[in-house]
Amino acid sequence: MSKTLGNLVLFTLLLAACDYKPRNQGKVLYERNCQSCHMESGQGLGRLLPPVANADYVLEHRAELACIIRHGISGPIQVNGVTYEGEMEGNRQLTDVEINNLVHFILVDLNKQKEHFVINEVRNQLEKCSSTR
Amino acid sequence: MSRSKWVLPLGMMFLLVSCGEEVKKELPVLGPYKVVDEVVDGALVTDTMFTTVRPFSFTDQDSNEINHATVEGKVFVTDFFFTSCPTICPKMKQQMLRVYDAFDGESQLVLLSHSIDPIRDSVGRLKDYADKLGIQSDRWHMVTGNRDSIYSMAKHYMIAAQVDELAPGGYAHSGAFLLIDRNKQIRGIYDGTSEEEVDVLMEDIEWLLHE
Ligand code: HEC
Repeated sequence: MSKTLGNLVLFTLLLAACDYKPRNQGKVLYERNCQSCHMESGQGLGRLLPPVANADYVLEHRAELACIIRHGISGPIQVNGVTYEGEMEGNRQLTDVEINNLVHFILVDLNKQKEHFVINEVRNQLEKCSSTR
Repeated sequence: MSRSKWVLPLGMMFLLVSCGEEVKKELPVLGPYKVVDEVVDGALVTDTMFTTVRPFSFTDQDSNEINHATVEGKVFVTDFFFTSCPTICPKMKQQMLRVYDAFDGESQLVLLSHSIDPIRDSVGRLKDYADKLGIQSDRWHMVTGNRDSIYSMAKHYMIAAQVDELAPGGYAHSGAFLLIDRNKQIRGIYDGTSEEEVDVLMEDIEWLLHE
């Protein structure tokens, strides 16, 4: 009896711990900061809000994602052949590590990419756009 | 044998029985009501008078005047939003779009979205928003107008639907979808950001259309 209970406790602890993995943090950050506009599975909305899942723009602008997230983006852009003329504000409250985890979630979970960036690459990208703005 | 032993099996039997029946849905009328006594043909009749949606007049994305006559005798769904809202509005519009698509070709249903930022949300801006969402004004009106009139209309709907004024954003920014019947009585309130609640709304619309 006490053994099963022990296992149960262990199992629950493990489950809880899973939430703190970086990629799960990316998902949580997405839900908190991005989902209201880009929708629950990243599909966007009409010609108002572009998709971030299965989006050619994301793949073609991999090296700019971190900067887009931190500083925002505006003006006409083409995503999967559709033109968007919107405006997205930056997310200056997110740390480098958080942006890294978000980019990871977007590339791996929403765009089925295998490779992703390590934190130093994201830091390099962010340094470049901090000097230009 | 103790009494409590019977409660569970009896409860389960009850559940089983009630699941078997197709329950006919009755949508309540929401809001404050008055009970009035009337004399009809010499007999005393007691009648219940429910709150009905009061007259209004706004302008939609195609510059059409939209008023109580637009929804006369029709079922309608209404909400409050603004085009530059970054929080709950895109989700509400995604869900309202589901309703719009599901009732394609249904002339007895009108969707009516009010902007609570009517100064910035000009007719032109609403038109642009509606186009980007891919909707037509014959079935889904996005309206702007006098700011005070829009806010007092929001309050009017929400009081009738018993929405708490203390909710974040107050009456106007509650994310609620309200369902109104052909007699302008409020029959349902749903969380416009919840897919599950909007599923229920769509069933209820079907119900009211055939009431
Ligand atoms: C208030 C709504 C809003 C929020 C919240 C938002 N975005 Fe955006 N996002 C937009 C809009 C609008 C555009 C298109 C901008 C344009 O037209 O230039 C966009 C564009 C993008 C793009 C480039 C185009 C594409 O679809 O690939 C990416 C990547 C992106 N957003 C990621 C994010 C991430 C990550 C978050 C969360 C940290 C986020 N966005 C939060 C509205 C939003």
